[in-house]
Amino acid sequence: MLDAARLKILTEGAKYDVSCSSSGSARANRAGGLGNAAPAGICHSFTPDGRCISLLKILQSNRCAYNCLYCPNRADADVPRAAATPEEICELTVAFYKRNYIEGLFLSSAVDGSPDATMERMLETVIRLRKVYNFNGYIHLKGIPHADRLLAARAARYVDRMSYNVEFPSEASLKLLAPQKSKESVLLPMKQLALETQARKCEKAERAGGAGRAARAFLPAGQTTQMIVGASPETDGRILRLSEAMYRKFSLKRVYYSAYVPVVRHALLPERCTGLLREHRLYQADWLLRFYGFTAEEIAGDGENLPQDLDPKCAWALKNMHLFPVEINTAPAEMLLRVPGIGNLGAYKIVKARRWGALGYEDLAKMRIVLKRARHFITCGGKFFGSENGETVRTLLALDAREENYEQLSMFSSPETALSAGTGQL
Amino acid sequence: MNVYVTDGTEKCFYTAAFAAYADKDCVVTPARRLQLRMGAQVLRVETDEEKSARVLKKVRACDKSAPRDISLILRRGCDGKEMTALGYLRLLVREGGPVRSRLAHPAVIEAMEERRKVTLEAHRFTGFLRFTEGEGGVFYAPFSPDNDVLELILPHFMKRLASQPFVIHDVSRKKAALYNGKDCLLVQTEREVLVPQGEREEFFRNLWQEYYRSVNIAARPHERQMKGYMPVRYWKFLPEKQ
Repeated sequence: MLDAARLKILTEGAKYDVSCSSSGSARANRAGGLGNAAPAGICHSFTPDGRCISLLKILQSNRCAYNCLYCPNRADADVPRAAATPEEICELTVAFYKRNYIEGLFLSSAVDGSPDATMERMLETVIRLRKVYNFNGYIHLKGIPHADRLLAARAARYVDRMSYNVEFPSEASLKLLAPQKSKESVLLPMKQLALETQARKCEKAERAGGAGRAARAFLPAGQTTQMIVGASPETDGRILRLSEAMYRKFSLKRVYYSAYVPVVRHALLPERCTGLLREHRLYQADWLLRFYGFTAEEIAGDGENLPQDLDPKCAWALKNMHLFPVEINTAPAEMLLRVPGIGNLGAYKIVKARRWGALGYEDLAKMRIVLKRARHFITCGGKFFGSENGETVRTLLALDAREENYEQLSMFSSPETALSAGTGQL
Repeated sequence: MNVYVTDGTEKCFYTAAFAAYADKDCVVTPARRLQLRMGAQVLRVETDEEKSARVLKKVRACDKSAPRDISLILRRGCDGKEMTALGYLRLLVREGGPVRSRLAHPAVIEAMEERRKVTLEAHRFTGFLRFTEGEGGVFYAPFSPDNDVLELILPHFMKRLASQPFVIHDVSRKKAALYNGKDCLLVQTEREVLVPQGEREEFFRNLWQEYYRSVNIAARPHERQMKGYMPVRYWKFLPEKQ
């Protein structure tokens, strides 16, 4: 049985991986089995850093053969080392799950020995959990770069989600800071899994017509990845292009961004933390890519960073003032989504409600649509409630953004921590 | 002005709605919280199977998902839920069809907001409920939700922990669901429930507390966000918050 001391080491090694979602899978419980997956995901607790706990996040081992400069568990580091057996992790997962502490397991590992040996041990844990313990809850498995691709394909049949970390937005940075990893070692397995998922889907569609056994689940919750922001010189525009390409090519569910925090001093690494505001803006831009119909090109030029004083949607709207104001009662839904301050829910509510009668400014307020920013970009029944002057609007919006920050400042010690709002826990 | 006093059940509400629908200036309220205004006339409503069935039938004819909406609204743990439900019901019957997408209508805004509060809390407790393993192998989960969500979360746990006998106990409403791995039974619990716990339970609780401490990134404190997602009133039954 895993003791508290080892649990502490193995958890602290895994906690910087920001992925925490447990959504996307509808795995059902089987007769005599334990657990199922909830398609929307469930958060079971929240830690004082504002992040949710939904999975038991743990390393199989933190003994690492690799020497990635930024990593606290790299081979050269003088830190306490520990490893857990597959049986120990299974036991703990099941005990926590039965008490409803967690939604499932997030299993990662340092490269203990060779990549293949590491991946095999993780696979053993996962299969044991599914077969011996008849566990049908959520499992997120971290892929080990350079491990045999058959191991990854095998694992994908048992787990709900897999992820390989891209780590850096360019190959040059990866080579410099994580010498044992290469672009191919990360992107190839992702591509492989994406292709196989696609093939299974086609197979399933073919079978749906005729008789035959239903296809076995293959990564029902898809893949995600993670990038460290600020340790290397790439701009936000470049990062967003990479994300966009991965969303398209690998059908990724999420790209996580993590602002660089110096754990190690090294000549090749920046001395200072990357502002969490940059991370926050990247997440905002990422949402625009996935849910608001924006392209990376529209949000930021290739060599550009996102503006710090405005959110990316405001910045886009100010650059495209010729498209505004839009009439709330007639604008198509895609255009409503582009109005700063109107989100997915807001646009949905407006589209539903306006079918029953024209909406006025007060109606929007009653419907709890935030008009602070939106009022400069909309008309309600032809009436405009914002400011005409482009410069004034820009100033007002920037002030709003700053006001939000001031509110948070009063609670927290440094501007960096104050701006960590909302990132990485969805 | 008439005050219709119900016994708090759904059927009794529908019985009251039978008369209250056309009674413009009236109040429908459950018996426990009664505060009379000047000139108010109290009418005690007895559940009437036929009347409530007629109202329910009419509501269902207007919108087949409306009975569920009303049932969810009536699970709210605050005063005035009957009036919210009645406002929604009146609009529904007046329009003679679904009104749930009239998102700018005050009655719909109010009804959907109250409904959301109930479903949100039910969703939250699928995560925040905590079981402790009793000595006999029965898992016991006490909780004290704002709204009456026990029946709403029950199917989730019966699917998820299908072969695990458990008891979910709403401490403030004094009712519990008993599940033996096959059938489920709802009971009233008047006395305090004490479940003896073994060393095993304490062992895992300690591990969980250790895990909770370790997974936190102390360099990025954001307590306000934590409390926003996990309100302090729920902490009472969370072992990691003891």
